[in-house]
Amino acid sequence: MQLLNKSNEMSDMVGGVESSRMTMAEFAKRSRERADSYHRYQIDAKETVDRQALPNRFIVKVGKIGLAKLIAKEFIQYWGEWDVVFSRPCTYGVFSGPVGGFSPRPELCVGCLRCTVQHPDFVKVEHNPARVELGDKYLNSSIISTIDEEARKGTVPVRGQGYRGRFGGPGWDEMFTDMSEIVRPSRDGIHGRELISTVVDIGSKPMSLKFDDDGKLVSEAPKMISIQVPFIFDSPPSGILTSRLAKIWKEAAEQIDTLAMLPAEMVLSNNLASESVVPIISVDSTTRVDDFQSGTRMVELDRWDAMRFATASDIASDLIIGVRLPFKPGWQQHFEEMVDAGVTVIHFVADNHGNGDDGRFIMDMLLEAHNMLIDAGVRDKITLLNSGGVVAADHLPKAIICGLDAVCLDQPLLVAMQARLSGDLSSRGNYQAKMPRKYKDDWAIQRLVNLSCSWRDQMLEILGAMGIREVRRLRGEVGRAMWCSRLEEEAFSEIEGFMAGEKL
Amino acid sequence: MTIGKKHVKPSKSLIHKTTHLMHDGMDGHAFGDFEMPPALGDARWTDELILSTWYMSATGKVPDDMNYKTGDSDGGFDKLDFKYLEEKEWLSQDNDIDTSIQLNRRGDERAKLAPPIPIYGGGMSYGSVSVNVMLARAHNAKNWGTYMSTGEGGYPEELYDLKDHVITQVATGYFGVEERSIQVAPIVEFKYAQGAKPGLGGHLLASKAGEEVAKMRGSVPFVSLFSPFPFHSTYSVEDHSKHIDWIQTINPDALISVKVSTPHDVDMVAVGSHYAGAHIIHLDGGFGGTGAAPEIAKKNIAMPIELAIPKVHKFLIKEGIRDKVTLIASGGIRTPDDIAKAIALGADGTVLGTSDLVAMGCTRCSNCEGGPSGRGCPWGLTTTDVELQEWVQLEWAVKRLDNYYTAVQWRLQDILRKLGLSDVKELVGRTDLLRYMAGEK
Repeated sequence: MQLLNKSNEMSDMVGGVESSRMTMAEFAKRSRERADSYHRYQIDAKETVDRQALPNRFIVKVGKIGLAKLIAKEFIQYWGEWDVVFSRPCTYGVFSGPVGGFSPRPELCVGCLRCTVQHPDFVKVEHNPARVELGDKYLNSSIISTIDEEARKGTVPVRGQGYRGRFGGPGWDEMFTDMSEIVRPSRDGIHGRELISTVVDIGSKPMSLKFDDDGKLVSEAPKMISIQVPFIFDSPPSGILTSRLAKIWKEAAEQIDTLAMLPAEMVLSNNLASESVVPIISVDSTTRVDDFQSGTRMVELDRWDAMRFATASDIASDLIIGVRLPFKPGWQQHFEEMVDAGVTVIHFVADNHGNGDDGRFIMDMLLEAHNMLIDAGVRDKITLLNSGGVVAADHLPKAIICGLDAVCLDQPLLVAMQARLSGDLSSRGNYQAKMPRKYKDDWAIQRLVNLSCSWRDQMLEILGAMGIREVRRLRGEVGRAMWCSRLEEEAFSEIEGFMAGEKL
Repeated sequence: MTIGKKHVKPSKSLIHKTTHLMHDGMDGHAFGDFEMPPALGDARWTDELILSTWYMSATGKVPDDMNYKTGDSDGGFDKLDFKYLEEKEWLSQDNDIDTSIQLNRRGDERAKLAPPIPIYGGGMSYGSVSVNVMLARAHNAKNWGTYMSTGEGGYPEELYDLKDHVITQVATGYFGVEERSIQVAPIVEFKYAQGAKPGLGGHLLASKAGEEVAKMRGSVPFVSLFSPFPFHSTYSVEDHSKHIDWIQTINPDALISVKVSTPHDVDMVAVGSHYAGAHIIHLDGGFGGTGAAPEIAKKNIAMPIELAIPKVHKFLIKEGIRDKVTLIASGGIRTPDDIAKAIALGADGTVLGTSDLVAMGCTRCSNCEGGPSGRGCPWGLTTTDVELQEWVQLEWAVKRLDNYYTAVQWRLQDILRKLGLSDVKELVGRTDLLRYMAGEK
């Protein structure tokens, strides 16, 4: 076999002098190994059946006397043409049980209404109140149904017909994302040939690097964690969180290469510390950061206290230390203090409807925070996270457009596990969750993985439509968003009776 | 799912039974013989909008006792109304009200196509709908002297008899595009994007890509078909111009329509398309229909048509080319009142798609892409299943569409008469004739 030349070009290709002595076969083998070792990030979704199925979407009521009369009539009218006699007005099998329409199967009904249009005398299809009443006005029945499907299949929900809802706001519905008509990466990117990255960095990037004369880095190196998806699993409320749930959060986060935030006590008592787990430490016991020096990459303090933050930073200088900041009146002052004190991960907390204590929606507050950092010239030095208010896949890119680096999720994860939520769902801590009976941990983990896969793929759809190749570029890209109220003002301002901001 | 499973063509008796039950049921509900189906409708298409469309399709008239004008979406067309004149100032019933529009305003040598109604049929491909639905829409277009787009799925042989009223669509996957179908077309439509899924291309799910569909598209049966995005040969207005040159070389007589969605720079896209040679700029808004689209794309990407029309209309005026462009709007236009409002906002005419389907029985159950059965629409509309597609019989469907368009034209003329206008072209851009119903339901 001919030896490869010792050309610099070839050496560069295979990575060094040693490789220049390889035979062609060895070179080919090594090249194959290198190629095979390349792993394009993907989430392995697989269909995961229900353990606590949602109530049926529809109630199907069939009048038995009317049905009996129809069958008798058709037996006579179409005697011998059994395909006609036994045909049913449903392609989904609602009337294909052992006794047909006498015992319909509403779980199969999709609401096409063909049966009730064809037989209005004795078939009636109604929305099931038990389904409609799921959740609350924000995390509503429709969103719960979608999350359920996403967690079951791990795919992007695709349906026929157009949009069915309200024209614009409130909340995230106020925003339309933009798209690029011509100049853009191809949609092939979504299907594998071109990469669209969903990696985000948690931590701090220095605004510049300094090197000495020998080319060695002399300034502080970037201190950050890269995660593969722009969302993090946040701890459920203490009344819902169990050791078992904490393990599920951790395992699912590890599988998709993101982070799970869990109370420090839970992490310690269950031996959950790992690179994917972010212990949440009470400010009142800041010295606990010392318990997480090995294996842990990041911790969070549960609220802002300048002294305690300084203490924690001294104790654990290698760790990224984030701090939670509720959207309470005057949060801007604390935010500025945190920036000045060198906090690199600021984790906002809104209520579960995405509102601050003063009723402002996070869309405005996140933009304000993002712009404050830009004005201060430190945007890349600080990571912004938020919990509360993101409960659907379309909220995710919109929150990032408003300036977040990543979104923290908790309620949607519980819904993915088919928990039945009750109580005040808007509150961060005062709601309850009834978990499915007899579920297995693997099942729950896969449901979370599936949801993550679906939401990431939907993020790719939005990025693909915009022509953006990586989610990091979407942060704060308000130029790629359109606000319904502003567009209405532009379009309708000349029309009598239109008042700008009427619906806001 | 039953991908690849063969269903048999139903017997005549079964077709007779099923279609009669369907038709009697639609009419009975439209005429108020039965209670309103409680699970029918949504904010965009309310139960009354669907049933009033069925009423119009059965009678050729607008109903007296249902809201056939607006939905319940709390914005856009649903918050706009007309500032009618006092009744004594209305034009008399004897006045002829002209509802025709010019599709070629460039002043070139090409055909001066002028359909008598400001409407033509939007693209719905063979595969996404049955051949009977395609043919019914094409026959209706012929009857009304207007047009119907093939969508991206090829040109079934049966359509050639109606070729003078069929728009050939060229979209990013080039499925079914042939020299012959371009040569015979009065209008060739480039589909750059679709309002329901802007920037995402097209997707025919495997279950609907049956043998006939695959043959038409030159693909393998029961394999998902993606139209990529964008045109891989078009990354600039100059490329776009070459595209148009290419079509015009094949068919020098065809008008060129460019269908785009509604991003923030849609106004500049429209101007670019005009200078590239387009006769028709077709805007497809974010609430538009689809046979299959990611739910996240609907509404969340790009803007509603109500907001895009005035943006483009005003920009074309500013650029001094408004009178050279035919501006067509689609994507969320449901009713004759929506059509008139779209024109008052600045469009020259509109394209209908979902309304045609509702006229033929669609309840908007959203299972067009296949649904749990994998067979497509249970009403036989958006399916190529050999059994289900028989539920739409051609003669009945053509009659339904004819009635519907009759009612639509009557209502358009009614609006114009009450505004004191004798020509729909006088309504273009007349936002002064609109009022916004702030705080009103």
